[in-house]
Amino acid sequence: MPDGNDGAVVRALRDPIDALARLVGGLGTAVLALLTALVLIVVGALCLVGVGLPLLPWALAAVRAVADRERQRLSRWGEEVISPYDPWPGGWSARLRAAARDPATPRDLRWLFVHAVFGFALGLFGALLPLLAIEDLTRPLYMWALPPGTVTTSVGIPAGGWTGMVSSVSLGAGWVAILVGLGPAMARLQARPGRRLLAPHPGLDLSARVAELTATRAAALDAHTAELRRIERSLHDGTQNRLVGVTVLLGAARRALKHDPALADGALEQAQSAAEQALAELRAVVRGILPPVLEQRGLGGALAALAAGCAVPCRVSADVPGSRPASVDATAYFVVAEALTNISKHSHARHAAVEVRQTRDRLCVRVEDDGRGGAEEGAGSGIVGIRRRVEAYDGHVTLSSPPGGPTVLEVELPCVL
Amino acid sequence: MRVVIAEDDALLRAGLELLLRGEGFEVVAAVDTPDAFLAAVDETPPDIAIVDVRMPPTHTDEGIKAAVAARRRHPKLAVLVLSAYVEESFATDLLAEGTNGVGYLLKERVGRVERFLEALHRVAEGGTAIDPELVAQLFAHRRADDPLDRLTPRERDVLALMAEGLGNVAIAQRLVVTEGAVHKHIRNIFAKLDLRPTEHTDRRVAAVLRYFESTGR
Repeated sequence: MPDGNDGAVVRALRDPIDALARLVGGLGTAVLALLTALVLIVVGALCLVGVGLPLLPWALAAVRAVADRERQRLSRWGEEVISPYDPWPGGWSARLRAAARDPATPRDLRWLFVHAVFGFALGLFGALLPLLAIEDLTRPLYMWALPPGTVTTSVGIPAGGWTGMVSSVSLGAGWVAILVGLGPAMARLQARPGRRLLAPHPGLDLSARVAELTATRAAALDAHTAELRRIERSLHDGTQNRLVGVTVLLGAARRALKHDPALADGALEQAQSAAEQALAELRAVVRGILPPVLEQRGLGGALAALAAGCAVPCRVSADVPGSRPASVDATAYFVVAEALTNISKHSHARHAAVEVRQTRDRLCVRVEDDGRGGAEEGAGSGIVGIRRRVEAYDGHVTLSSPPGGPTVLEVELPCVL
Repeated sequence: MRVVIAEDDALLRAGLELLLRGEGFEVVAAVDTPDAFLAAVDETPPDIAIVDVRMPPTHTDEGIKAAVAARRRHPKLAVLVLSAYVEESFATDLLAEGTNGVGYLLKERVGRVERFLEALHRVAEGGTAIDPELVAQLFAHRRADDPLDRLTPRERDVLALMAEGLGNVAIAQRLVVTEGAVHKHIRNIFAKLDLRPTEHTDRRVAAVLRYFESTGR
């Protein structure tokens, strides 16, 4: 009977409970904002004495992380708040310049301090309301057991005797009334700075982002076409040719059988090895499309199997719970396979390490080795292929390989396509 | 018979050579690029050239272009093109300048050695060899009121074999009928399709292909 009185009761209860959940959630981000603001103040002070500058991009990244958390929270409770950032460039000075140019930075900072103070206060008050209400409403049940004169209500009024009991209960009812009556408004008030300051700047030209998305989409389609062409070619020019070779050799063997059995045997031998080659090529093609091991063992197991087959001792740590689009796992697998091939072939490394982590919406892959470094894009390395495939999925590739090593390849793949 | 082979896949090239040498052909050159093919044909014009469609650099239709170019330079040169798959436009390009001494077959037909050799000889002697798959495709796209519908199933079989380039004797053998029966079928077909009767095999293929060309699409 959702339309009867029960429905009205549920609705009446739901709004304040909703508001309470929002206020508590806001308190969470406010605590983070408060901590980040303190860090920022410390880093700012260090900047004044000249040593804090390299820490600044790191602190700003923390601000962005907290701001993004608030955006997610707000998006859960209402209209979506879009993250306005461009991807971070590499290197701390480039990051600093990018942050200084970004119109989102001052808005983030204003929000950070406002939310750290007012959001915190509102959230704390909101979170205390039900506790205070329970305390004051239930006091008459146990106050007789306490020594007289020591009992006070939550706001400090003495609560002895009947009058005290009445004032305690009515105070508790007051807290409930505040929560029911003002809760939703308080939650909205707490969310307001975020909604105003964390949304993309009204004057911000989204056309750049649109252009980027259009370009990556086109790149994805290109990559898709290139992928299909690669598969078509390897099937036609590889597998199919091998099989035609098999039929040709079998035909020759059958013809030779009558007059020259030795020749027939040679042709059959060749036909068999051609059939084996066809199978090997077919396996390679299939592996290139979607490695079967991924389906059987998941990304972590598949990477462990890759590492086990690597010529250089390789440690894998994979923290990848849940499921992602198959193409993301396949790309991550491809990246690690290429990187490990590179390491085996070129790096002269003694150890390698693969680390894969899943954050909220990204899959981060990091492959490191202690080899001689100096890896470059082009020069027949697989890095170009990695970059092409990763960027087709709107991901990022960073390669650091100073002469002498170590070489670190980092790849970030968006998991929500 | 002297043969030039142009095929970029090493295994297939070796297989073809092995097969043809075993059958008593003289393989004068076995090359892997269109340019090397044209050079080999210029140096010692063979009786027949066997050319793969997909060759470097782009692996699309280099073989067709090379075959057409070779026939322009040596109009008497017989060319048999081998393809991984049937593509009508390739066949059209190849047959555009005449069907005499031209063949277009799927690669795997080579494995059926007897038929392949039969087709090879036919092309070398100035005839035509069109892959049954291509003929089937030509049959497949027809209009609603196509005169082909007036043919009996047997007449359609005969027409398909004619389109492949087979002569009356070979058609009779394939269908296990007498030559006289084939003659009768062919007369009926030409009457029903409103084609000028001709007994000469290569002109007959051209007529049949032109028929498909004019009505098929």
